[in-house]
Amino acid sequence: MFKHFQKGNAIKSLIFFALIFYFGKVFDPYNQGQLSVVLIYFIGILSITLLTGLSGQISLGQGALMAVGGYTCALVVLNLGLSYWQSIIISAVVSLIAGWLLGITAARLSGPYLAGTTLVIALAIPSLATRFESVFGGDVGLSVDFGNPPEWLSGAIGEIGYEQWQLFAILPFATIALFLALNIFKSRTGRSWRAVRDHEIAASLTGINVQRVKIFTFVVASGFAGLAGAMYGLRGIVGPSVYPVSLSLALLTGAILGGLRSIAGAFFGAALVVFLPDLIDKITGGWELAPQVGDYLPAMVSGILLILTVVLNPAGIAGALHHHKPRHK
Amino acid sequence: MNIRASLSRKKLIGLTAVLIAGSMTLAEIPANANSSDVSGTSDIVLGMQLPQTGLASPGYNKIDDAMRGYFDYVNSKGGIGGKKIRLEVKDDGYKAGLTISTASSLINKEKVFSFVGSVGTQTHIAVIKDINRRKIPDVFVNTGYTEFYKPATYPTTFAALGTYVTEAKIMGKYLKETYADKKIGILYQTDDFGRNALKGFNEAGLTFEKKKTEASFISGTQSNPGLGSQIGQLKANGVEIAIIAAVSSATAVSLLTASALGYKPEKWVVISVGADATTIQTIAGLRGIAPADSAALLKGLISASHAPAPGDSSDEYVSAFKKINDEFNKGPDKRWDNNVLQGMNIGYMTVGALMGTLNTKTVFSAKNNKTCQANAKKGTLSRVCFIDYMESNGSKINSAAFSALQYSATTHEAFSGFWIGAYDAATVLQPVGGTRVVYTTDSGSGLVTVSNYKRPAIAADALPKN
Repeated sequence: MFKHFQKGNAIKSLIFFALIFYFGKVFDPYNQGQLSVVLIYFIGILSITLLTGLSGQISLGQGALMAVGGYTCALVVLNLGLSYWQSIIISAVVSLIAGWLLGITAARLSGPYLAGTTLVIALAIPSLATRFESVFGGDVGLSVDFGNPPEWLSGAIGEIGYEQWQLFAILPFATIALFLALNIFKSRTGRSWRAVRDHEIAASLTGINVQRVKIFTFVVASGFAGLAGAMYGLRGIVGPSVYPVSLSLALLTGAILGGLRSIAGAFFGAALVVFLPDLIDKITGGWELAPQVGDYLPAMVSGILLILTVVLNPAGIAGALHHHKPRHK
Repeated sequence: MNIRASLSRKKLIGLTAVLIAGSMTLAEIPANANSSDVSGTSDIVLGMQLPQTGLASPGYNKIDDAMRGYFDYVNSKGGIGGKKIRLEVKDDGYKAGLTISTASSLINKEKVFSFVGSVGTQTHIAVIKDINRRKIPDVFVNTGYTEFYKPATYPTTFAALGTYVTEAKIMGKYLKETYADKKIGILYQTDDFGRNALKGFNEAGLTFEKKKTEASFISGTQSNPGLGSQIGQLKANGVEIAIIAAVSSATAVSLLTASALGYKPEKWVVISVGADATTIQTIAGLRGIAPADSAALLKGLISASHAPAPGDSSDEYVSAFKKINDEFNKGPDKRWDNNVLQGMNIGYMTVGALMGTLNTKTVFSAKNNKTCQANAKKGTLSRVCFIDYMESNGSKINSAAFSALQYSATTHEAFSGFWIGAYDAATVLQPVGGTRVVYTTDSGSGLVTVSNYKRPAIAADALPKN
């Protein structure tokens, strides 16, 4: 994919790891749990950043690919008895294969047709879980989790709470995902994806195999989504209500709010989607809001933010943080 | 074209600053973070998760307001031993991924003493293991899913409903005896609820034929057009007695779809959790059906209940709870119905269990008796003693139900008794045959028999006396 890994990217990834690890130590258990979800969403949104932001293919069904990762992980854990991290890796590989199959179809489609197809897949996955109940557990789902923290870790850093353990288990995978994404953005591969996004014919004239690039993008993005889905399921349950269509839309919302073409934006978007309800709750805590308003406020605010972002600041939070013209278009 | 997308130094510094500021805002660790006991006059904080929004919310989103209404009433009377009850509710939208976060919020932010009355099988599965691992009481869960109530697996979880198997067995026996010469069919949602109900009917000797008298749909898809073909299947196969084992919103859609298709079975039979008349009529109203028309649709529909019908104004529990609901329920929709009655009843049972745990005369299990009595004398409410009380004194927790709670060391199932009724023109469930007969059975292969349970009267102040 890339001839050499960038040293700078490794340093940035390590800084990311250290920062999150630090916050994992100082946050209270609830926010440790929320930070875990931020990391999972971050990886999920990265799949959209790569697929849509970098290569220009629209997907409304990343939640379905997360489900592929989640179910694979649960089945591997429950049937083969492998550890969570082995299962996560297998899940990512299976998701790559699923992405390849999807990519073959996707490469022939574009725009609303592609969006519609991926949306249908997101709708269909929960039905499959119910149709093949003996395998996928039906509506009840498959119960899996990260288990207990290993003794060596508790010995090294002291007593670890359950949420903290979840965070520390997810963090290495999020760091690896960040490192890979940073390198893809900087590599020749990333440049070819961007070329396809900006002008397919021009890209083709430069010798880029457009179809192959599109399929490959889907494969890589699916790997990211599957990785996120596996860890999302390991929080407690893998089932249809864990990967609803609204999950795909939440990821897309996070990607747009954070900045569709930016890795930092993926993180900002994930943090916003996860912490926005808490923030609203904190602000409106003393207000006497009717449930008809209060219950729907987070969805309403994110909807308004989404519209404002698209109209006023298409580059999202990451774009707004630039004091100069965005570097990549 | 500049292709760099990495974080610049400035951005890294900015990001770090944002994260540090965030951590300072978010990381609020109370000094008593590890204490789960409630002592002195501290509030008893209870947590609840349910769908307040989304497709699964209609009807169920009234239960929490009713519970809070009852707790506010108790607080107005001085609380329990000077302790006020506070109910913290989180909306999970019936999305299990969100349930995990809301449970974490209730546990770690709100520091709940116990979960109470949570709604939703699929969603509760996502957190039940974690709640039990932390030894947090998880009482009066609003689902009849039998797997939750096995103490060996989930020692802190207790049911608020009779199991779907129990109810279906009782209904099945009634249908088999009353409509022996009729073709009986079923429409059920393909989750634990529907499947457990199917199991109960089978246990009672009713059998169905797939693709003919047995139709199913994926739970949560009741708004999809596919339900029409399932109803059409029952119609095409001449089903005369049509059973529905689905949530109220799905029951409403099924009845309306059947009406549109011109399908009128001799009797509709609906499992109690899906037979709330108010919810069904509200959904029908949203589709432009006048209340009189939807009432006509419900007339004659057979259902069952473990509690009195909400429309039974002669029932002392109904009268007492209705009065409290009128005065203390601050919810947006406090119309009196099954869901509000259920919420009030859970509030009543919860208060009874809390009072019993704090009663110095209570005898707990041999293992915990000494500690729990000492706690009661000090006025300290502990989780271990609360769970112990539920398990060893469950039958002493009174309620509006016509059946005692079954809690013991071997089962945490709730009610084993149901009576069968049919809706009248005013959508009040009236006993079939004119007299209420409560039947009882278990979730296994036990026989269905007439219950001899005598429900204790409610006190004049509508407070339990545990």
